[in-house]
Amino acid sequence: MSVENFLYIKEIADDGLRMSGRTAFQGRNIKIKTSVILPSDGSAYVEIGGTKVLAGVKVMEGVPFPDRPKEGGLIVNFEASELASKYADDRITYSIEVGRVTDRGIRESNLIDLTKLVLEEGKKALFVYVDIAAMNNEGNLFDAANIAALAALLNARYKRPDSDERFPLPLDNSKLSVSHTFAKVGKSLFFDPDAEEENAADARFTIAISDKINSIQKGGSGFFTAEEIDTCVGKAFEARENTIKVLMDSTGK
Amino acid sequence: MYEKRLDNRAFDALRPMEAETGVVPNAKGSARFRIGNTEAVAAVYGPEEVKPKHFEKFDKGIILCKYDMLPFSVPDRAKPGFDRRDTEISQVITNALNRAVFLEEFPRSMITVRVYVTQADAGTRCASLTAASMACADAGLPMRDLIAAVAAGSIGGKTCLDLTKEEEDLHEEGATDVPMGFLPSKDEIVLLQLDGKVTREQLKEVLAVGKKGAMEIYELEKEALKRRVSNESKS
Repeated sequence: MSVENFLYIKEIADDGLRMSGRTAFQGRNIKIKTSVILPSDGSAYVEIGGTKVLAGVKVMEGVPFPDRPKEGGLIVNFEASELASKYADDRITYSIEVGRVTDRGIRESNLIDLTKLVLEEGKKALFVYVDIAAMNNEGNLFDAANIAALAALLNARYKRPDSDERFPLPLDNSKLSVSHTFAKVGKSLFFDPDAEEENAADARFTIAISDKINSIQKGGSGFFTAEEIDTCVGKAFEARENTIKVLMDSTGK
Repeated sequence: MYEKRLDNRAFDALRPMEAETGVVPNAKGSARFRIGNTEAVAAVYGPEEVKPKHFEKFDKGIILCKYDMLPFSVPDRAKPGFDRRDTEISQVITNALNRAVFLEEFPRSMITVRVYVTQADAGTRCASLTAASMACADAGLPMRDLIAAVAAGSIGGKTCLDLTKEEEDLHEEGATDVPMGFLPSKDEIVLLQLDGKVTREQLKEVLAVGKKGAMEIYELEKEALKRRVSNESKS
């Protein structure tokens, strides 16, 4: 990320233009490959433009949480290390936030019916671990992590301890909660920001939608007006169609 | 007695390999190395300012290397973050890279090497070291030589090259695992560990078989790097 581009991005943003030549609400190309990690129960490799992430699902036995004895669990963990980008700050800024936002989107949409993962009430249940690692950060790790997590969950086939057969996870495909991230540079809103745009942005807005809105996270130190939020929500609902299509095509559903 | 290998390989045969460079476009240099079902991705950043400052050396550069097994890379889930094993392996990889790279060319600077193990089926430290050395070369760092690393071992008295996890776990046969790293053209050993029990003669044999395997890996590494210069990095 260079300083010249930083100023240039801010300058052309006033006219609603982007360095990449994309229009304001045009996303980058999404590529998904599934079943890439043999030792995992389900996996996906996702590229959004130059951003690359790898997600793996593991289903393992554990003890249900005391306040939810009739449910299994979902744990989403995200790792952005020095491998993906030379900005060591990324690791601190992003790691936990991306993981938690991705977790919330999937959890709140009730995509996974956790009650079906109980083996013995209060004693034994299955836990779904989704681990996501950034391989190259070219911006918008939020959406990349979310899509990778969804693709890996769709791809997952897990074993119950009492049989050798592999089952798909109890997912409700109408509730795939897809994340969309917007950056606000000056007065312009840009969908799917790249790394340089994120760097120049004043604020960031991430929204995960299934049939309803499941999670929102405002990031950065800038602000949004209520109208801008509404624009983002509208555009996110539009963009969801395309993302779902790519997701379904690549996971063979 | 171990008569036939579990995956029907010859005793001195490597698993199928793949090598590719430039897989992390953000990095100065990067590489992916796959051997059987073990895969490592390495990225190199720098030379840059040393942080934290007290690691700085006035007469040469330092390498900061971190090896990390991704949680989904093993049959059980590996806990995210660094455990004692990760820290030790990071250290032995750093030691090997310290010999391979001409660090005296970079006083007061730091080279960061990050390795992810995306899939693990034994030999991850060797795969990581091989990938890391390719990434260093891809980053254009001046080096004595590439490092070719491979594990060999002795199972039931028989010397085997490039053990799988299944073979490593043949405890009743007495499996011994010896990971080693070479600077092949210099005939230097820059990584060597052992756990198990072997005689002096067996160790000699294991090292010889390992060297032979390392030469094969060395050729593949050079090929991958050449492809990168001729602009077709994908293998």
